[in-house]
Amino acid sequence: MNALAHSSAASSGRPPDLARGEVVFHVRNLSKTYGTGEAAVHALAGVDLDFRQGELVVLLGPSGSGKSTLLNLLGGLDTPSAGTLLYRGWDLGAADEAGLTQYRREDVGFVFQAYNLIPSLTARENVGLIGELASDPLPAEEALRLVGLGARLDHFPAQLSGGEQQRVAIARAIAKRPRVLLCDEPTGALDVRTGIVVLEAIESINRELGTLAAIITHNAVMAAMADRVFSLSDGRVVNVQTNAQRAPVSTLAW
Amino acid sequence: MSLLDRKLLRDLRALKSQALAVALVMACGLTMMVMTRSLIVSLESARMRYYEEYRFADVFARMKRAPDDVARRIAEIPGVAAVQPSVGRMVTIDLAGLPEPVMAWFGTVPERGEPLLNRLHLRRGRLLEPEARGEILVSEAFAEVHGLGPGDELAAILNGRKVPLRIAGIVLSPEFVFEAPPGAALPDNRTFAVVWMNYQELAEAFNMEGAFNQVSVALEPGASERSVIAELDRLLVPYGGLRSYGRAHHASDVRVDDEIRVLLGLSVGFPIVFLAVGAFMTHAVMSRQITLQREQIAMLKACGFGRREIGLHYLKFAIVIVTVGTVLGVIGGVLLGHRLVDLYHRFFRFPDLHFELATGVLFAAAAASALAAVIGVWGAVRRAMRLPPAEAMRPEPPAQFEPSFIERIGIGRWIGVSLRMALRNLQRKPVQALLTATALSLATAILIIPNAFRDGVSYVLDFQWDIVQRQSATVSLVEPGPSRALADFRTLPGVVSAEPFRATPVELVSGPIARRLNLIGLRGEGGLSRVLDGELRQIVLPPRGIVLSSKLGEVLGVRIGDEVLVRSLEGKRVERLVPVAAFSEDFAGVSAFMELTALNRLLLEGDLVSGAYIAVDRGRWGDFLAAVKETPRATSVVVKEAMRESFRKTTAESIGVLQMIYLLFATLVAFGIVYNSARISLSERARELATLRVLGFTRGEVGAVLVGELTILAVLAVPVGLWLGGWLARGLLTIVNTETVRLPLVLTLANYSFAASVITVATVVSLLVAARRIREIDLVSALKVRD
Ligand SMILES: Nc1ncnc2c1ncn2[C@@H]1O[C@H](COP(=O)(O)OP(=O)(O)O)[C@@H](O)[C@H]1O
Ligand SMILES: [Mg+2]
Repeated sequence: MNALAHSSAASSGRPPDLARGEVVFHVRNLSKTYGTGEAAVHALAGVDLDFRQGELVVLLGPSGSGKSTLLNLLGGLDTPSAGTLLYRGWDLGAADEAGLTQYRREDVGFVFQAYNLIPSLTARENVGLIGELASDPLPAEEALRLVGLGARLDHFPAQLSGGEQQRVAIARAIAKRPRVLLCDEPTGALDVRTGIVVLEAIESINRELGTLAAIITHNAVMAAMADRVFSLSDGRVVNVQTNAQRAPVSTLAW
Repeated sequence: MSLLDRKLLRDLRALKSQALAVALVMACGLTMMVMTRSLIVSLESARMRYYEEYRFADVFARMKRAPDDVARRIAEIPGVAAVQPSVGRMVTIDLAGLPEPVMAWFGTVPERGEPLLNRLHLRRGRLLEPEARGEILVSEAFAEVHGLGPGDELAAILNGRKVPLRIAGIVLSPEFVFEAPPGAALPDNRTFAVVWMNYQELAEAFNMEGAFNQVSVALEPGASERSVIAELDRLLVPYGGLRSYGRAHHASDVRVDDEIRVLLGLSVGFPIVFLAVGAFMTHAVMSRQITLQREQIAMLKACGFGRREIGLHYLKFAIVIVTVGTVLGVIGGVLLGHRLVDLYHRFFRFPDLHFELATGVLFAAAAASALAAVIGVWGAVRRAMRLPPAEAMRPEPPAQFEPSFIERIGIGRWIGVSLRMALRNLQRKPVQALLTATALSLATAILIIPNAFRDGVSYVLDFQWDIVQRQSATVSLVEPGPSRALADFRTLPGVVSAEPFRATPVELVSGPIARRLNLIGLRGEGGLSRVLDGELRQIVLPPRGIVLSSKLGEVLGVRIGDEVLVRSLEGKRVERLVPVAAFSEDFAGVSAFMELTALNRLLLEGDLVSGAYIAVDRGRWGDFLAAVKETPRATSVVVKEAMRESFRKTTAESIGVLQMIYLLFATLVAFGIVYNSARISLSERARELATLRVLGFTRGEVGAVLVGELTILAVLAVPVGLWLGGWLARGLLTIVNTETVRLPLVLTLANYSFAASVITVATVVSLLVAARRIREIDLVSALKVRD
């Protein structure tokens, strides 16, 4: 993981990173309601959580429990209906459009449920496109090699399998060396072997750069690789589990 | 190049046929804009150079006869810079081999040296030698039609004497840029000529030695034209002067002005229509594109691309399309502009008329098309900019389908699965259906316009030559004479009937507005030249009152029963208030009529006629023409068929060329629109159609869904388009119609059928192309990634 190791936060000109264990996201009584009146859906109903620098968090829960909603709020894709959401002390919940754009551009790496690749760009270009936004991006080739796609640089999304497309999406997310990496069911479409490759990539970014990583899954096996596991149900956190020891990704099996 | 721009290029490549269709539509509009604007610039600058270099006069006057020293007195009028007196006469020419007589306007040049004003531009041969006799200079347009050159000979009847003349040179004159007989709206270079002679020879022939009967005046810079005209009129009254006039009433110059006005109208009207269509198509293409790329846009935003970057990215699509359209449009405009300048040479004779690119129009063209594209793309781009990034996390919800209206009312049983699906599709996406239908309507509408122009022109010609003028010839007397003269004409060989007319120059005044024209006196219920109303019914001229052409009524702002002041400009110069009795229909210039005896009573000159309309037995046509050529009292003979023939060869042909260009563009644009709609329709359905194929539908059945949709839309859209086209044509005609030439709105079944057929053919062709694409749909990839 040399490519990741040689970089440092200082070289990119950003403010100094937080020390390991300091609070990155401070979440209090966070709520998100879609619609109004009869049709209102309380996707999140009062969530209290802290996400810390350097940790790897797994969000567990049944479909519809509000995991994606929470991740969207953390990533600045959406704004909360009520409650407090601070990112490094900055009120993310009250940020304006420009502030959110800036935040997503500089700090967040996303891996989407539905890949969302640009069909008219090759794998290399899809990764490079987002890299153009970052001040010190990982070369696209390097990022793709990390997810095991070093040989398919110049393929278009239509020429890749669903799993390969997802790995391009992960390469795209890590290429900008984000401070927080938010992954919505990143391995949902992958077989075990590639799933492990992908999770290792995420894990190593988290470990070596101290990037906060949050991974949504409904696969409980993956909980073992996390520092902490948040379980959601009906828009609430029902359980927080702390692992004394993170299991190496290669030992996971599903 | 940034990767986002690379995406742009690849997306454009995938969209190339649609983007090109839009660019071509815009290019058509811009071609017309560049072409017409450049023609205006070319005409204006050629005119300016010509007038300046050849000293075209500012004020003109005619009179019966004024001695030479009057010219010196004119020169003393304050504000007058130069005076050029001369003799001018309408003369009949006998050209060997031409059965009809030729009318020629004979003017004079000074015996020695060049004229001070209205100098001639020598095309071929030489100018006249001092003291030379029997030598003439001939206008180019006439010479060209008959293949005349220096050294050729012709005969002219000068004051009743047939004189042989030799052509020394072929010339142009700034007074005859538009080489047409006085008062004519259309050129007739076959039987009308302008000829110049040495002063002494023509003056002697018409007993005008030491005198002149026309004068041109140049003004000093800053001099008031009105006060010079007033002074000139006062001075010339004793010499039988007609009222003098400035360039604004100079027949040739007015005709150039009118052409420029028409071009101005076309340079605005057509581009607006085409660019509006282009804007609409841009909107359709971009809306579709942005809908297709919803998830991509959301992802880009989620990853930190700002609204502006996203907006700019999609605006760039439009920018590329506009750039291609502008470049093609300018190239087209320059190429066609060159071609049209050659064509204009037939109407307007300048020493040097060449294509000049209106550079200002290039910016205007770029700005107009950019504006059109931005208007077209704006809504769609804003939608892209506003798309919440969280959408990236959600795939599009499945579409809501319900039984279509037709199925609900129970006809569903009778129609096939494909048509049923087509109906459901239309009902499910009413906005898209409306857009496609609008596109088809627009395509139909723009096809109506050029043919409406063509039909308007041919209606005017038929009106003029078949309905109004039933005479085969019009013979004019040298001077108004007693009605006995009519008897002479009746005895000419082949004459079936003859009706007298009186034409006298008058000024019609109503309030502050005045117009000069020849007031025509006719028999109350003439059978040859008739006065018609808007419904083509003959107006019987009343014993009291004046009949005005409706345009003249409009210009003067009078209604039936109102009185206009008739001021005669010849003879006893009477002024009399006359009530307006009726309005007649007329498509060229302005005209006014009175009953012959009523007119003569008004003029206080007794029972005079200016000439006669004559109907001739076809079998004795040759005898008639030969006899007329030898009749000394007849100065001019207008032969209807000759005029029509000449018109067909010149004006009609040129209008035809213009009309063909417009029609070609309209057809191209119509195809572009229809093809574009079919493509958009196909790309919207690609996934759905692929699914149908996977489920086991045949290609034919899948194609039928698309055919069904477009057919339903076309059936609804074409009638609306026909109506819209008539409306657009009316709007454009209003813009281009002037006081001298007007086109009526004529919408024929042939026009409608043509438009409907083009749309049908375009639809079928587009569907065939689209059908080939259906075959090419890669079933697996269509289902895998959304595109
Ligand atoms: N844009 C939206 N409009 C309305 N309801 C929504 C929207 N997004 C999510 N929901 C609802 O919010 C709840 C939580 O959704 P989500 O966070 O996507 O769940 P998860 O990711 O845990 O499966 C669900 O009931 C879902 O239907
Ligand atoms: Mg989810």
